[in-house]
Amino acid sequence: MTDLLFQNITVTGRVTQVDLHLDCGELVVILGPNGAGKTTLLKTALNLIKPDKGQVFYGSQDNQSLSPIERAKCVSYLPQIRPMAWPNIVRDIVALGRYSHGASLGRLKGQDKMAVNEALSACGLTHFSERRIDSLSGGEIARVHCARAFAAKAPLLIADEPVAALDLHHQFKIMDLIRDYTRGHHGGNGGALVVLHDINLAAKYADRLVWMKDGHILANGTVKDTLTTARLADIYGVSASINETSVQIHGVLDGQPNPKA
Amino acid sequence: MNFHRALIPALIFASLMSLLAACALGSTPMSFGQIFNAFIGRGNAGDIVVIWQIRLPRAISAFCVGAALGASGAALQGLLRNPLAEPGILGVSATASLTATFAIYYGIVSISAWTMPIAAILGALLATTIIALAAVKTRSVVTLILIGVGLSSFAGATMSLLLNFAPNPFFLADMINWTLGSVANRSFADILFALPFLILGLGILLSARRGLSALTLGEDAASGLGVNLKKQRVLIVLGAGIATGASVALAGAIGFVGIVAPHVIRPFVRHDPARTLIPSSLLAGVFLVIADIGVRVLPTQNELKLGVVAALIGAPAFIWIAMQRRSLHD
Repeated sequence: MTDLLFQNITVTGRVTQVDLHLDCGELVVILGPNGAGKTTLLKTALNLIKPDKGQVFYGSQDNQSLSPIERAKCVSYLPQIRPMAWPNIVRDIVALGRYSHGASLGRLKGQDKMAVNEALSACGLTHFSERRIDSLSGGEIARVHCARAFAAKAPLLIADEPVAALDLHHQFKIMDLIRDYTRGHHGGNGGALVVLHDINLAAKYADRLVWMKDGHILANGTVKDTLTTARLADIYGVSASINETSVQIHGVLDGQPNPKA
Repeated sequence: MNFHRALIPALIFASLMSLLAACALGSTPMSFGQIFNAFIGRGNAGDIVVIWQIRLPRAISAFCVGAALGASGAALQGLLRNPLAEPGILGVSATASLTATFAIYYGIVSISAWTMPIAAILGALLATTIIALAAVKTRSVVTLILIGVGLSSFAGATMSLLLNFAPNPFFLADMINWTLGSVANRSFADILFALPFLILGLGILLSARRGLSALTLGEDAASGLGVNLKKQRVLIVLGAGIATGASVALAGAIGFVGIVAPHVIRPFVRHDPARTLIPSSLLAGVFLVIADIGVRVLPTQNELKLGVVAALIGAPAFIWIAMQRRSLHD
């Protein structure tokens, strides 16, 4: 069981004194406008960006003290989807999730092979496993990346806009997969920290919402406690009406345009 | 899948066949009986000399050079995530032949036979380091290739300068050999001085090959998988630099092999950069041995240079591969 703790993280100009805790089995969604520091914060957890101040802990271990392999065994990272450099085969891409366990593509054995097969079937990719990635649709590709992250069997998952540019069906499908992962399916039992842009999706799936703006966390709590029209006006500069967990955005607020736009 | 397993044995077989063909073909064709006898040191003295002093060392040189360039090309392509990366295109070979020429020009070569490969390797490492540093700064592969073109041009210009100042025609001929690339008149001694570096370079590349598979996802995702990016870059730059430098020390600058071989191999290894290395290395070796046979048997007045033939075949292939790339890859 590993939890994730951000302690007083500061990255000059992007994130200021952020404290955040992610418990085992918890799905936390970070919301905020472009440039709020969401991706920067995620990257400090992966040591892709070294914070100027503060520390990130996996359980009791400072993540700076871990080697890349040790870190990868603690946390799976699902970055914003970029085109692959090569038209790889689906099974091979999922097998990359086993990199930290020392697996070589094409020579999977024992546990690695099992983990890859499980991840493929969890994401409904068994039939696609021998297809080339460039023959798949965007939604299928997103599932391949999810399977790749699950195959690592790491206790933590960090995902940066995993549903960007997907159709509705796949948005929910991917979020279902991530939620199941935090509930102990797909080999995970740890937390997931996810950046989303869709408030409705966030409200439906998140155990907790973290609202960021200008490098600060402005609110951090359950959907019920933190999802308010005032907050949407403050964070995004939009007027909206909220009915329990469903949000309807009416438009940009006059006199308070999105500061980053 | 079985097809994939058979790839490396098939290429090893092709390598041996190409070396055998290189022994058999030439200005005076030899029968397999003659070759066999010469191999084991029997048969007539002329045959033994032709095999052991001329054809075999020449063919093995061509094979080694191809092997080094094929693996370096495949590794650089994996690191830079681009099928157009190659020691020749990126200016690595040109820089290596420039430093080697400098070593000849200033007589440093007369100090020891090792100075030649070392000079070439230093040049190759200089160029690969510049490329890798630029790769960290710029995400655009086009920029990177342009930097390579710049390096290539600069090395070419400096080479021309040295040609201008060449003290005598012998030196001139020597330098032309370096720029154009050739394995004519190579001996086993020449091979021996390049071989340790070649093996070292290939060994380093192979040790780092797993990270190349991960890089297909992009640098951030690869790092998330547990790849130590800094170490990965250093190892590929070192390995490709050392192997390319050794190949230049042996044969001068030979371009495009490192682009064509991996391109042919990729579909057979499911486009996995790690599994591209060894087959590309073998295939590029076979390419150059066959191209060199062509150089020797073509009835031209002056013998063609191997590098020229490689470029005549490779440059159109380069253009073709470049045109096939989809725009979304930048």
